[in-house]
Amino acid sequence: MERPSLIGLALIAPALAMIGALFLYPLGFSLVSAFTEESGRLSLTHFQKAYELYSTDILFTLFIVIVSTLLTGLISIAIAGILTLSETPWLITALRNLYRWPLFIPFIVAAQCMRTFLAKNGLMNNSFVALGLMEPLQATSFLDWRGIIVTFVWKQVPFVTLMLAGAMASIDRATIEAGRNLGASRLRVLIEIVLPQVFQTLLVGLVLSFVTMLSVLSVPMMVAGSQPTMLTVDMAFRINSYGDYATANALGVISYLIAGTVAWIYLRHNVKQGAQA
Amino acid sequence: MDSSVVAAIDVDRLQVSYGSQPVLHGVNLTVAPGEFIAILGSSGCGKTTLLRTIAGFQKASGGSIRLFGRDVVDMPPEKRGMAMMFQSYALWPHMTVLGNVGYGLRLRSVPKDEIRSRVAAILKILGLSGLEDRTVTNLSGGQRQRVALGRALAIEPKILLLDEPLSNLDAKVRIQLRSEIKSLQNRLGFTAVHVTHDREEAMTMADRIVVMDAGRIVQVGTPEEVFDRPNSPFVASFMGAENTIELDVRPSGFSVEVHAGNGSAATWDGPVPVGPVTAYFRDDAASLEDPHAHIDGSLVLPGRIAQRTYPGGSYRYLVAVGDRHFSVTDGQYHEVDRPVGLRLPLELLHLFPATQPKGKVHA
Repeated sequence: MERPSLIGLALIAPALAMIGALFLYPLGFSLVSAFTEESGRLSLTHFQKAYELYSTDILFTLFIVIVSTLLTGLISIAIAGILTLSETPWLITALRNLYRWPLFIPFIVAAQCMRTFLAKNGLMNNSFVALGLMEPLQATSFLDWRGIIVTFVWKQVPFVTLMLAGAMASIDRATIEAGRNLGASRLRVLIEIVLPQVFQTLLVGLVLSFVTMLSVLSVPMMVAGSQPTMLTVDMAFRINSYGDYATANALGVISYLIAGTVAWIYLRHNVKQGAQA
Repeated sequence: MDSSVVAAIDVDRLQVSYGSQPVLHGVNLTVAPGEFIAILGSSGCGKTTLLRTIAGFQKASGGSIRLFGRDVVDMPPEKRGMAMMFQSYALWPHMTVLGNVGYGLRLRSVPKDEIRSRVAAILKILGLSGLEDRTVTNLSGGQRQRVALGRALAIEPKILLLDEPLSNLDAKVRIQLRSEIKSLQNRLGFTAVHVTHDREEAMTMADRIVVMDAGRIVQVGTPEEVFDRPNSPFVASFMGAENTIELDVRPSGFSVEVHAGNGSAATWDGPVPVGPVTAYFRDDAASLEDPHAHIDGSLVLPGRIAQRTYPGGSYRYLVAVGDRHFSVTDGQYHEVDRPVGLRLPLELLHLFPATQPKGKVHA
């Protein structure tokens, strides 16, 4: 039995080495450097500095990511729900063909598009003015926190919808029909019958989106350049302007903690589900 | 049906298409309140489509459906007020037994305590008492389908639709549930429409059987009528008369003479089509006699036993007559290869005019 396990180990060794070299080592290194002073003594000085300089940005980041995740969830549920429950064939076809497009557009391109779309004299305001919905003087720029949220949601909705619509399509259609047969409207069927059956998938999609949005640099940098901004921009700034890796690492650890909390919620739910099944 | 009573279900010239493919070609069907109807047919005949159109899951392209006089053809399924049982049980895996059975009541804003007591009463009828808080994924197939039956009956529906709900169950549970559904229907008086491809299930449960073929209803009648007097070769063979033989019916005074190809003949005074006919008969309609026997009202065809099997109760023989083989059930034991007379009592044959063979068409 010893030989196969050695062969097995040899087979996964390259992958393990890659994880070690490209992920675990830098992670460990940044953790250590976040918690040590230049003299090598353990301390929380860098965190104190990070907190003093960027506490608003930490809250801002949390706010942006949580709101974006919630909106992404709501819109994805709506689109996947329509794809699953609608009885209007043209609507389903149109949505199915349209909703995936943003998946193929990189964040930086999406950010650039949003700059021209959401600016004071951007496409959105110009269209509203042209449609007579708004006076030119009322036009305001959306290139602030709202811009970031719009870009994140626009970019992540297709991803979550893709997962969710797939999961909804694979549940037993008769469970939907049984609900409607007993008198449930399509909205009630969606909320009480379909969603609980695909909740796990929704959770995975939202956790992955949350972590992705937390780590995007280009969008907050391009869409909303001013203060307050997101932690990714602060980290880039500490490194590029001051070569201050220690504070950047401390901010990185804070990001890990936020991402880790979400992952923990997800894992906890998974374990609960596993125990029930 | 008494015409003064409003029909529970009145399907009138119903047409349904999948895209450009027509599936139901103008189906007419009237079901009386409290009646148990079985829709029988081979797969693809449109029986499930008919049921799903009545339930509202399939849009009609023409015709009307009236439930107790109310036209529902353009109504969404949730407004039609029917209950349905599905082949896959269609229980909601994230809910308990109580949640599943009580859902219809919850939709009708029944108070929680009342839901609990009504669900308990239904579970008692179905022999599932005490399982309220069990998740449905922890139940056996039979229990699951009972929960589905409970869920359907909880809202006290006037009409229950059954979409092959017993076909996933093992034989014993299936037979048990058949009689449970039937006796509940007698007791509660709901109207039931049961789609099945199982002939015996349809025969034992239904007051009337509707046989469908290729998107049309081909015969409607009591189980006895459909079984004993099929109105077409299709219904005859679908109801089990799978042996066929070509005969010739010639008028002879006030009666007719029925001739088989080998010279055997019998006189008969029942109503039969005259000319070349095809006779359909079940394997238990024929019996085995002496090859030279002459029996009034029966044809006796000399043949030889080609195969014998014992499915239990009586023997099943494959009898070779010339180059044809017929399957026959007979209580007596006979050796294989023994010469026998295949006795066909004329009263048990279903005779239909023979369709012209292709080679003889000269248009």
